[in-house]
Amino acid sequence: MSFVPSWLSSVQAADDARQVIEEAQRRTNSTSQRYEGILQVFDAKGKISDKRWILERLGAHGDSKMVLRFIQPAEVKGVALLVVNHPDRASDQWMYTPAIERERRIALQDRSTRFFGTDFSFEDMEERDVNQYDYSLIGDDTLDGVATWKIQSVAKQTKSSQYSRGILWVRKDTYAFVRIENYVKDKVARRLVYSDFQNVQGIWTARQLEMLDVARGSRTRLTLDKLQYNVPMQDEDFTIQALRRQ
Amino acid sequence: MIATGARNLRRGLIVRVVAFAAALPAVAHGQSLSQRGFVDARGFLYPQDAPNDSQNTVGDLWGREEVFAKPRPWIQFAVGLDARANTDDQVDASWHIDFRDRTVQRPALSIRRLAATIARGRLTLDAGKQFIRWGKTDIVTPTDRFAPRDFMNVVDAEYLAVTGVRAVVATDANTFEAVWVPWFTPSRAPLLDQRWTAVPTTVPPLTLEDGGRHLPEGSQAGVRWGHTTAAGLEYSASYFNGFNHLPDVTIVPGSAPTALAVVQTYPAIRSYGGDLAAPTRWFTVKAEGAYTTSDTPGTDDFIVYVVQLERQTGEWVLVGGYAGEVVTVHRAAFVFAPDRGLTKALLARAAYTIDTNRSVALETAVRQNGAGVDVRGEYSQARGAHWRVTLTGAFLAGHHDDFLGQYRDNSHVSAALRYSF
Repeated sequence: MSFVPSWLSSVQAADDARQVIEEAQRRTNSTSQRYEGILQVFDAKGKISDKRWILERLGAHGDSKMVLRFIQPAEVKGVALLVVNHPDRASDQWMYTPAIERERRIALQDRSTRFFGTDFSFEDMEERDVNQYDYSLIGDDTLDGVATWKIQSVAKQTKSSQYSRGILWVRKDTYAFVRIENYVKDKVARRLVYSDFQNVQGIWTARQLEMLDVARGSRTRLTLDKLQYNVPMQDEDFTIQALRRQ
Repeated sequence: MIATGARNLRRGLIVRVVAFAAALPAVAHGQSLSQRGFVDARGFLYPQDAPNDSQNTVGDLWGREEVFAKPRPWIQFAVGLDARANTDDQVDASWHIDFRDRTVQRPALSIRRLAATIARGRLTLDAGKQFIRWGKTDIVTPTDRFAPRDFMNVVDAEYLAVTGVRAVVATDANTFEAVWVPWFTPSRAPLLDQRWTAVPTTVPPLTLEDGGRHLPEGSQAGVRWGHTTAAGLEYSASYFNGFNHLPDVTIVPGSAPTALAVVQTYPAIRSYGGDLAAPTRWFTVKAEGAYTTSDTPGTDDFIVYVVQLERQTGEWVLVGGYAGEVVTVHRAAFVFAPDRGLTKALLARAAYTIDTNRSVALETAVRQNGAGVDVRGEYSQARGAHWRVTLTGAFLAGHHDDFLGQYRDNSHVSAALRYSF
């Protein structure tokens, strides 16, 4: 039994949750990131497609730009997505399609759409920033024998999200995310599971992410290959004009 | 005609495409070198005879290879090559590599793109044969003046590159673009003796002859300013001074009493345009319009505008809108103008992704007076990492004096098998 008033306990828990996320964000800070993503898309019956992209990110979290370029399968080579993340609002996104030699802005109301046949939505391609959400600590949990904090996040109004809330599991030893469940209303819409953790240049990184679209029963496994942090990159490679370059 | 076409196919197509495929570089790998390409075999079935064309089946073979080299972070070179063959004499069988895309027939071998791109700070400079796309709307794009197209099959038109210099300076919210194109690239019009050049049914049958094409030699230029707001509103204003890539048509008596000669001229035009994309809670509203004026005799002054709504939801991509035209000064007797031909019409497109490998799409254009209808459906399925099959059905109907309706004998189905690499 506690003598602490319940409302004060709630404020304390919220502070703790935010501090956990802040620390998680601090530990994953890097000036840039580059990796080759191997995507395997599985429907409810089994694997149906493989894709591969190269992702480059300049900056980190809410102050970053990202270009993702498909390199496989052959018919989508050159399709590219530019994401400009903001600390205080939803990202700006443009997609370039070589077949029509044109880029198109991905409107906010379209961000819940699946990203190019994967189980990630366009919104899932954004980088989360601690300031875009309100947090509350739900409690402690153990996942696969690892102690975690279980934290609820609710997007601030300025963020504009398809998800009503998210539940995050954060490892207590490394502050790495191990699972995110995103809810639409009261149902889990997508579940992202992180695994195969490795320390890459001082940053604990999950080399494998698996996104489950709960309603469809399909999932996409993303494996990070050739991962590097703090690679020299130029700002001019993260523009709409740069999308047209290969 | 079928037999002749088949012989042409055997003689030219196989040799050409095998040679092309053998030349495909398997060397494009690594960070600074990338490639993409495909080989595409396609067959068309037209159930109806057209007054000037009784060929009911057409076969097409098409290969493409594009290589992109980036020797330094600030410079990139791009080269692309197309190889084509066709059973219906739509491809020029002579062995030369075409660069200027000015031939009446499609070239058998052509340079699709050949350009260098330099990016330094806020400046991006593209020089060479390249694709320049302006505007925001999808089915009709009135400001897209540097984008000629291959209208050999009118309803299925591939973009052609133009040769010139393009400079873009981008700040956080603004984009300034200037384009200079020293020589003109026309859109490729349908062949006069084939079904996509519609002729009225007459007794005796009317034949069309090539009365010549007058290609302008001057240069073209354009500027465009674009702005994006933090709320996601995008808008642009553009100015173009050059030539219409679609011809004015003059009909003169031909070499025989039942023959008419078609003379094509490409008028000098100036075009003032604007476009915007405004996201709202439910749709993205896109609008685009351009006022085009000309000093060339016999050329119309006109405004073409488009307003469309666009939404992606679940597995659906939905686009619907209206394209309008106002002719402010009417001077032209005949034009070949698919852009204006799709105006005064309701336009819609719906695409549904069945799964990561399969999709269906339906696209329609219906003239507001009901005189012309174009409905196209498509089913597409990928297999493995390289193969895709696409089945298409196109239904065209309407009155003979309507742009869409004149192709009422050209409803067709097609099947395409593409290997991408």
